[in-house]
Amino acid sequence: MRLPAGVGGLLPALTLIGLFFVVPVLALLLRSVTDPAPGLQNYAALLGDGTYARVFFNTFLVAFVVTIVTVLVAFPVAWMLAIMPPALASILFGIIILSMWTNLLTRTYAWMVLLQRTGVINRALIATGITDQPLPLINNLTGVTIGMVYIMLPFMILPLVGTLRAIDPMTLRAAALCGASPLAAFRRILLPLSLPGIAAGGLMVFVMSLGYFVTPALLGGTSNMMLAEMIAQMIQSLLNWGLGSAAAFILLVVTMALYALQLRLVGSKRAAGGA
Amino acid sequence: MKLIFAGILAGLIATTAAKAGEMVFTSWGGTTQEAQTKSWAEPFTASAGVKVLQDGPTDYGKLKAMVDAKNVTWDVVDVEMDFAIKAAKDGLLEPIDFAVVPKDDLDPRFSNEHAIGSFYYSFVLAWNKGAVPGEPAGWADMFDTKKFPGKRTFYKWSAPGVIEIALLADGVPADKLYPLDLDRAFKKLDTIKSDIVWWGGGAESQQLIASGEAAFGQLWNGRVFALEKDGADVGVSWNQNLTAADVLVVPKGAKNKDAAMKFLAAASSPTGQAKFAEASGYAPINTKAKAEMPADVVKGLPDAHVDGQINLDMNYWAEHRDEIATRWYAWQAK
Repeated sequence: MRLPAGVGGLLPALTLIGLFFVVPVLALLLRSVTDPAPGLQNYAALLGDGTYARVFFNTFLVAFVVTIVTVLVAFPVAWMLAIMPPALASILFGIIILSMWTNLLTRTYAWMVLLQRTGVINRALIATGITDQPLPLINNLTGVTIGMVYIMLPFMILPLVGTLRAIDPMTLRAAALCGASPLAAFRRILLPLSLPGIAAGGLMVFVMSLGYFVTPALLGGTSNMMLAEMIAQMIQSLLNWGLGSAAAFILLVVTMALYALQLRLVGSKRAAGGA
Repeated sequence: MKLIFAGILAGLIATTAAKAGEMVFTSWGGTTQEAQTKSWAEPFTASAGVKVLQDGPTDYGKLKAMVDAKNVTWDVVDVEMDFAIKAAKDGLLEPIDFAVVPKDDLDPRFSNEHAIGSFYYSFVLAWNKGAVPGEPAGWADMFDTKKFPGKRTFYKWSAPGVIEIALLADGVPADKLYPLDLDRAFKKLDTIKSDIVWWGGGAESQQLIASGEAAFGQLWNGRVFALEKDGADVGVSWNQNLTAADVLVVPKGAKNKDAAMKFLAAASSPTGQAKFAEASGYAPINTKAKAEMPADVVKGLPDAHVDGQINLDMNYWAEHRDEIATRWYAWQAK
C-alpha cells in the first residue's frame, strides 16, 4: 500500500502516539466491558448508582468552580504582566514558574496548615476579631477550590498573557478617546479580544481539574470526593479494574465531548491557543 | 488484549528487577520500611549473601498487574491481612514453604497458608491533651459530643476499624461484632458525621492530632508511639484496642522464590521480630520475640495490652470487602 505523500516521515511519531495513547485507551475500553465478565454491567453499575452519580457531579462541579475562579484571579495578573516592562515581567514569570516546580504534595500540605481550623489564617482572623469562630476553610469545596486554583493559576496566566500582549494598546486608547468609560472599554474591547486566551486557558484548567487527585484528596471532604480518588480506590484497593476502567472511560468521553463543543463554539484555531 | 494492557503496565513498573543473588522487598516506605530494612534485610544479606533491593510503596493494583502479566519483579511484599486473604483466593500468591519457614512459634492469628505475619498493630484512641477536657476512656466517648466537643478523626478508607468502633460505642459486645451490623454502625456514625475529619494516611493522622485540628481520633499505635517520641502532648487509651496485622506475601511467579522464603524465615524469626518491634513500636508476631526485647519496649507494644483487646476479623473483611465498600462510600458521599 502506498502511503500518501508526507505520511512516511510521520510514521515514527504516529507509532509513538499509537503506542502510548491509542493502545492504552483501547485497552481501557476493552477492560471496562470484559472485566470481570463480558457485558455492560460496569457501566450499568456506575450510571445506576446514586453514589457514583454524585461523584461524577462533584467532579464536574469542582472543575467548573475552579475554572471560573482561576479566570477571575488570573485575568488581572495576566493584564499586569502584559503591560509592564518586559524585564520586570520576566522576573514575575520566573516566580510563577518556580511555584509550578515546587513539589505538589508539599504545596498542598502547606495549604492544609494555612487553612485548617487551628491554622494560620483562622488564628489571624480570630486574633483580629474579624470572626470569633474558626471558618470552615478545609475539608470542603472551599478548601479544594483554594488549593486547586492556586495550582492551576500558571496554566491560565500563561496563555492569557500571550493573548493580551497581542492586543494593540491603541484600541483601548481609541476607545477612551471616543468617550468609553474604563468599564465599557473592558467589556466591549478588552474582554472580547482576550476571549481566545480565556477559552484556551479555561479549557486546559477545566480538563486538568477533572482528573485531579492529590489536592482534592487532602483539602476536600468526603462529600465532595472527586472521580480520580474513587478510581484509585477501585483499582488499588478493591482491585475492581473493570469498574475503574469504565469510570475512567466515561470521564474521558465526557471530556472529549466538552472539548468538541468548545471547538464548535469558539472555533478550532482559538481553542487551540492561537490568537 | 488484557495481557497487552497488563504487559504495558508491568513494563512501566518493572524498574527494580532483581538479578541472581538478589531479591526485591516491597513495603510502605517511611519509618516502617526503614525499620524493616535495618531489622531484616541487612542481617539477611550478611548471613545468606542475598542482596535485598527495596521498592515501594506497596500497591495492590501493581501487584495484580505483575501477576496478570506474568512479569513479577517483587519477591516479598508487605500487605494488609485482609488483602492477603482475598489475593490468595484470587490466585495472586505463592503458598508459603513451611519446610523453610518455621511456623511453630508464629502467632496463629497473623499467619496462614499464603502469608506470614510482618507485625501487628492496634488501632487506639489517641488525643491531644491541650484540646480535650479530661481523659476519654474509650470508643463511646468518641461519639459523645456533649462531654467531648470538637472534631474527631477516623480512617477514611473502607477498611477494618471504624465500623467496629461504631458498633462497640453503640454497646455491641466485643464477641458479637461479627457479622457486622452495617445498618446499626452507620446509624451510630450518623450521630457524629459533621464532627468527623478523615485521615487518609498515617502522617495526616499525626498532623491532625498534634495540631489539635482534631481533638482525638483513631490512630495506629505506632503513629502515637512516634508522636510521643517527638515530645507531642498526646494521651492514649488502649481500652478495646483493635488489632490487625500486616503480613508478608510472595506474589505468584516471583522470580526469586527460594530467596524469598528464606527471607520470610529470617523476618519472622524471634530476633528479626524483636528488632523490628523495638524500632517501630509495632508488636512481634513471633511469640518468642518478647524474650529478646528490653522490658520498657515490651510495655509500650500492643501485646502489653491484651486485656480487652479485640482482633479485627480479617476473614470476614476479605469476604465482604466489596459490599462494605459500596455502603461505606455511599454513606461518606451523602
